[in-house]
Amino acid sequence: MLCDDVRRVVYFFLDGSMGDRKQSEFRSHLDDCPDCETRTAAHRRLREFIRKRLSPIGAPEHLKIRLSASLHVSAE
Amino acid sequence: MKSAEVQEHEQGWDFERAAMPYVDSLYNTAYRMTRNSEDAEDLVQETYLKAYKYYDKFEEGTNFKAWLFKIMKNTFINNYRKKKLTPHKIDFSEIEESYERVIQKNAPDLIRDPESEIFQDMMDADVKRALDSLPHDYKMVVLLADIEGFSYKEIAEILDCPVGTVMSRLYRGRKMLERTLLDYARKYGYIRGEAEPAKMRSRKDETKGRKKKDDAKPEEGEAVEPDDNEEEVLFAGADDEEFEFEVEDEEDEQFEIE
Repeated sequence: MLCDDVRRVVYFFLDGSMGDRKQSEFRSHLDDCPDCETRTAAHRRLREFIRKRLSPIGAPEHLKIRLSASLHVSAE
Repeated sequence: MKSAEVQEHEQGWDFERAAMPYVDSLYNTAYRMTRNSEDAEDLVQETYLKAYKYYDKFEEGTNFKAWLFKIMKNTFINNYRKKKLTPHKIDFSEIEESYERVIQKNAPDLIRDPESEIFQDMMDADVKRALDSLPHDYKMVVLLADIEGFSYKEIAEILDCPVGTVMSRLYRGRKMLERTLLDYARKYGYIRGEAEPAKMRSRKDETKGRKKKDDAKPEEGEAVEPDDNEEEVLFAGADDEEFEFEVEDEEDEQFEIE
């Protein structure tokens, strides 16, 4: 795997979605290439940051009550 | 023998037990889609009522959460999207190039301590604004994958598109989101200015003669996708022996572009 390939598939590597062989080729490339290792780590940290800052907003209680009531009304 | 009324009443409880655990997830996504709590509540309510109405159409053993999300996506498109969202034009090549420069230059800082050194003063509102700035289709895949944790295949089912499209939108959506955040960080002085352009090797020559899918016209009201050629360059090799992706349950749709 070359540096350009690593750039193109870095998100899929982080998703763990490439299959064992490609995941392992990607990791081997990182072992040999400090630049790609740094960039991949940067992507990973950015993703963690985004996920943390976009933490889910829960549904308000009044909505849950409204939903529950409307389901039973429609069932009657 | 139970009366029809009793059966229906029991079905109501059954549905509620099955569906209510997902209300927070649905609301969260609805809120990000509609951008306000009132519309999000209405969207979730309509989704639940429709899902209840068609509950007998749900196939046991398939993914119930994905089924609910799909109903919500369809409801949103029917009710909200047409009137509220306008298509964005994206020059993806420009995003790509400047993103490469910024990420290249700042990667060492980012891994050292992104939270405290670079982003500590970045408000949650900035991150939400960055997400909102994404074209709708890109925002949806990022939300479904990175916040809700759906697999590519589940997202493809929810959005009614090929897995390859999900992957290419994820690639671009994540990149646009990161790039916007890095732009904010630079604008507010958390990171340094523009670096030297990163070396970008075009793969265009290697993809010459590769087949193109021709029915690539965007639907009405849909964000305008970057052109096919660009897409082909980005995902060149996806169907090569050299670059075979093992995406679950995929036949020959890898990186097939809409």
